[in-house]
Amino acid sequence: MITSRTLNLREIVVMAFISAVFGVLYLLWVFLNQVITGVLGPVGGGILAGSWIMAPIVCALIIQKPGVALIAELIAAGTEVMVGSVNAGSVLILGFTQGLGAEIIFAVFRYRSYKLPVLMLAGMAGTFASFLTMYAMYGYSQYSSVVIWAMLGVMLLSGIILGGWGSHYLTHSLVRTGVLHNFALGKAEYQKRTEDSA
Amino acid sequence: MLDAFQKKNCFLQKVNPALKLGSVLVIIAVMIPIFDPWTPLLLFGVTLAMIVGLGGVSIRFLSLLLLPFLLFGFSFIWIQVVFPDERGETILFTIASMPVALENVFTGVSLGMRALVFASWSLLFVLTTEPTRFMLSLVQQCKLPPRFGYGMMAAYRFLPAFQQELQQIRTAHRIRGLGEKRKLKQFKRYFIPLMAGAIRKAERTAIAMESKGFDGKRSRTFYQRIQWNRSDAVFAGMFVALLVVLFYVRMEWFI
Repeated sequence: MITSRTLNLREIVVMAFISAVFGVLYLLWVFLNQVITGVLGPVGGGILAGSWIMAPIVCALIIQKPGVALIAELIAAGTEVMVGSVNAGSVLILGFTQGLGAEIIFAVFRYRSYKLPVLMLAGMAGTFASFLTMYAMYGYSQYSSVVIWAMLGVMLLSGIILGGWGSHYLTHSLVRTGVLHNFALGKAEYQKRTEDSA
Repeated sequence: MLDAFQKKNCFLQKVNPALKLGSVLVIIAVMIPIFDPWTPLLLFGVTLAMIVGLGGVSIRFLSLLLLPFLLFGFSFIWIQVVFPDERGETILFTIASMPVALENVFTGVSLGMRALVFASWSLLFVLTTEPTRFMLSLVQQCKLPPRFGYGMMAAYRFLPAFQQELQQIRTAHRIRGLGEKRKLKQFKRYFIPLMAGAIRKAERTAIAMESKGFDGKRSRTFYQRIQWNRSDAVFAGMFVALLVVLFYVRMEWFI
């Protein structure tokens, strides 16, 4: 079967639905995040940073086409705004930069490799991009460098673990349910399984 | 509660969503180089007045939404006092041999207020904009391809269904005797069936849309047209005036 490189309606709607589920989870996370940040300061807020990057990585892993990571993160941000996020402005800006960060990594691998290390790298790039954005937006330049470096470290680690490994783990559990047989990842999995049994 | 305010017939509700969203982004950009506490404080006050006065939102509901942000904003202050980039000269008092400088408290208040300004201006958008109008305005004014706009609207419409499904999954697990302990494993147990259901629904929705003749072309007709009107001009004028006044006040008194 020939698959085109552009997105069709089915893939767009699936991306929107996945992002919507994540968008709702994010709403809960935002609340949790604010409590953690309030108590532990911005460094603590970095712990959950990797979870923001999960929607684009899951979508990119499932659909495996150019532009998916960026578009999925924008859709997630848009859905969050529709649901009524209290942080609409920063969510949209962060959505754009995070998606772009992850997208660049997938582009570097020419949209061919979606193995765990690549996903981890994408998660790291996404949280790094969001760190840079928040650095400018929330005036992190006014803090001592110890705090900044600690925060960057925590965020990158969170991006690798939650964003990279977490998305990989969840998506591959999802493949086994069989709902993804119409998509690049599901097809590859299906082929592998039929070859194994043959 | 949210859509009661979004459907009110007040001034802010009539402004084009694309314009309001643009103003949110401009506000964020404008705030970036500001590190004194008074400018964001002033802007925060004006924003609250606008939401209540021009958007018809009740003060109680608004403060309820902003309450968690106060905690969030407070974190900026204490981090700034404990770990500043440069410690200020004017020492107010010391806590356990750690000097607390006035300059650092001011910077901390400024950064905390900045977070509050972002939140309040975002609320100005969210509380006065119907999601459908927002998407239609993105499609009609910002040239977002209809595929994406309507895809997102479809997903938005399914959110109550997700909630119902989550309840169903919870009940199903309970029937099978799966308890509530072990939080992390529990997450996967809910996440996977919810996602699988969402993907199935999405595919069906996409097929239904295509079978009804939705082809994502720009030449489609709309049931609801979002047009530019007088409120947009007034809002834009007010916004520019606000920025000019803010800039002027800052130049005169705060620097």
